[in-house]
Amino acid sequence: MSKPSNSAHVSDRRSFLGKITGLIAAFVAAVVGVATGKYALYPAFRKMSEEQNWQVVCPLEDIPEHEPVKRSVVISQDAGWGRFNSQRLIWILRDGSRVVVFSATCPHLGCTVNAASNGFMCPCHGSAWTGDGQRLGGPTLRALDTLDHRIEEGVLKVKYEFFKQSIAEKEIIS
Amino acid sequence: MWKKLYSWLDERTGVEGLIRKINDEPIRGGARWSYVFGSGILLLLVLQFFTGIFLTMYYAPTSDHAHASVAFIQKAVSGGALLRGLHYYGSSAIIILAILHFAQTFLFGAYKERRELLWISGLLMLLLVLAFGFTGYLLPWTQEAYFGTKVGTSIMGEVPAGGPLMQRIMLGGREITTLTLSRFFTLHVWLLPLLLILLAGSHVAFFRRSGPAGPYHHRDDARTELFYPRQVFLDALVFLLIFIVLIVLSLNLKAPLGQQADPTTDYLARPPWYFLPLFELLKYFPGNMTLVPAVVLPGIAFIVLAVLPFFDRKEERHPLRRPVATVLMLLGLFGSGGLVILSKYQDGMNPDLRAKIESQRREELAYLDAPFQPEEIGRSLPIEVPMVQVEGNMRNPVLKIYFANCANCHGRDASGGALGPSLIRLASSRHLSRDFLLKYISGHVREPSPDSMPRFQQLSLDQRGELADWLLNLRSPDQLSEPGETAAQSSLPSVPKPAAAPSQGPKKAAEIPRAPEAFLKTCAFCHGNDAGGNIGPSLVGITAKPERSPEDLLKLLDDSRAYGLKDPMPANFPKLSVDDKKAIVDWLSKLQ
Repeated sequence: MSKPSNSAHVSDRRSFLGKITGLIAAFVAAVVGVATGKYALYPAFRKMSEEQNWQVVCPLEDIPEHEPVKRSVVISQDAGWGRFNSQRLIWILRDGSRVVVFSATCPHLGCTVNAASNGFMCPCHGSAWTGDGQRLGGPTLRALDTLDHRIEEGVLKVKYEFFKQSIAEKEIIS
Repeated sequence: MWKKLYSWLDERTGVEGLIRKINDEPIRGGARWSYVFGSGILLLLVLQFFTGIFLTMYYAPTSDHAHASVAFIQKAVSGGALLRGLHYYGSSAIIILAILHFAQTFLFGAYKERRELLWISGLLMLLLVLAFGFTGYLLPWTQEAYFGTKVGTSIMGEVPAGGPLMQRIMLGGREITTLTLSRFFTLHVWLLPLLLILLAGSHVAFFRRSGPAGPYHHRDDARTELFYPRQVFLDALVFLLIFIVLIVLSLNLKAPLGQQADPTTDYLARPPWYFLPLFELLKYFPGNMTLVPAVVLPGIAFIVLAVLPFFDRKEERHPLRRPVATVLMLLGLFGSGGLVILSKYQDGMNPDLRAKIESQRREELAYLDAPFQPEEIGRSLPIEVPMVQVEGNMRNPVLKIYFANCANCHGRDASGGALGPSLIRLASSRHLSRDFLLKYISGHVREPSPDSMPRFQQLSLDQRGELADWLLNLRSPDQLSEPGETAAQSSLPSVPKPAAAPSQGPKKAAEIPRAPEAFLKTCAFCHGNDAGGNIGPSLVGITAKPERSPEDLLKLLDDSRAYGLKDPMPANFPKLSVDDKKAIVDWLSKLQ
């Protein structure tokens, strides 16, 4: 390589052109970066789980009394390019016309809660609840989450919700 | 502080030396505008990799969701239209730059002086870029994508001996299915990029080994300049210009996106611009000679180009002193360009073609501007539409189609029924086109809504065509009677009416209890008086199906959408009392 004649000038130009090139690179990176960032984060902060409708479970009289009864409801979730219909489990306790409905989602870390001999039990981390959903032991910080229900013309209807996990209070995720 | 960190890093990584090595490449004859093509391609490839990776974040490579997921990216996601636009127009920019880079290298004789591998790796990348274009074209699963790929893979099947086999392997079967889409996706997103990284890496390495050829006139051979800063700056400036053009195109013109592929339509497919020369050439060869323009000519051209540096050993690089090479290259370039223009010109000159292309384009733009509609996804039973048993001789085939599919809702004399409007003079008074009717019947131009007509996709294009022609001329209910008969004494089949007597078969009547009144009033219209199916599916034995237990059926009557059922099944039946529903479900569970 041949040394250019005027080295002072050349090094000035070198750093000037280098800076412009750096600015161009920064501009392109910023445009693409911002667009991609917004793109990638798009669904994360949108309210995706929309208000669920009241779901028909079954006629009240079909539910056996004094034992936990497992049923499912279908929920609809808006997830980008589709509205996805899927099932979620609920536990129902019935005493005559008195009804309590629990979400079968463990308030600890979200596994599915099972009925046990003395109440309810989560298979994943051993959280346990009494037969009426009160906290007995294990890592869970709260009782089983109750779901709103109503009885219309003898038919049980439930409104399914999602709750924040691993906290002592029941709080709906919105 | 920064200097310390940098020298700490450099000691351990040798980053300083690496940057030196990249930046201090000596350029014979100095930096030039004419050297920007290679770097431009490289930078665009980086952009394609980046945007492509993020496009797969929302893309679903299956035939039933690909289109919706691309529409979601294009219409709903923030930045989605920009990223997809950059990827779409970026591919064209790469092809343009690649052609310029190739033509320049050839014309300036820069493939000479032990640059055989550099030249061949470049040629292979030119093919690779076209393969990217071909495989990427199918991914949005639009009409254009489907039919374009259909033609492209059919040409592949024309190759003697191995062609049909190759086509089968490419498609993953005999037809374009969701498997084809998966294969194209794997090629476009995994295999071709890997190959490209290998080839591009070799290309750059070969280039660094042989060094730039310098100007063909050798006047400035004595002068040498380093790659950084002037050439880097020129490269960056050109890339910036291209980048801005791509952004403007993406945001204003938007990357095109038409409607979802429908193999039953007569879509007029045209390939992307870079395949137009081949496409135009195909027209001048008869069907049994497809091979010549599609495979033989490009194949010969490629082989000749690939072996060129092995035979062309003369040192002369000046294009004017290599007249044969220069004339051939210019002929090739201008010939290809001419073929593109010719193909556009021919489409424009033919009024039928032009009208069709324009109407397709309008539909595409309308779809692109329409708001995004998410797909309904869930476990659903397919709605089968069995043909109604047609009594007597139906001599007019279109009436057969009408009574099997339309009469239940639109009435036996087409003057309107409980669910559908009158069809008399409907098409003519609204100036509906035949094309529109074809698509309306198949559900292709409609977004699903709770009250809309079901999609009759089971009807063939011919059947829909007959219906459309008939509808366009339907001016009076009398047209539904057979020729030679009056409407009163016609042998038209009886359309089941709500609350009509249950099926008359004496044996059946003895075995199966009569349907409850509520079923006859509410369900029989679609599912038949004996639940044997009509325009709705048969419900006989339904309780044996998964998620159709009596308990499920009761819930389903309150919210059929929750069970994944779609139109035309209503979402719920508010008029049915709990007792009615129970009676219906009880009766259904007895039908085996």
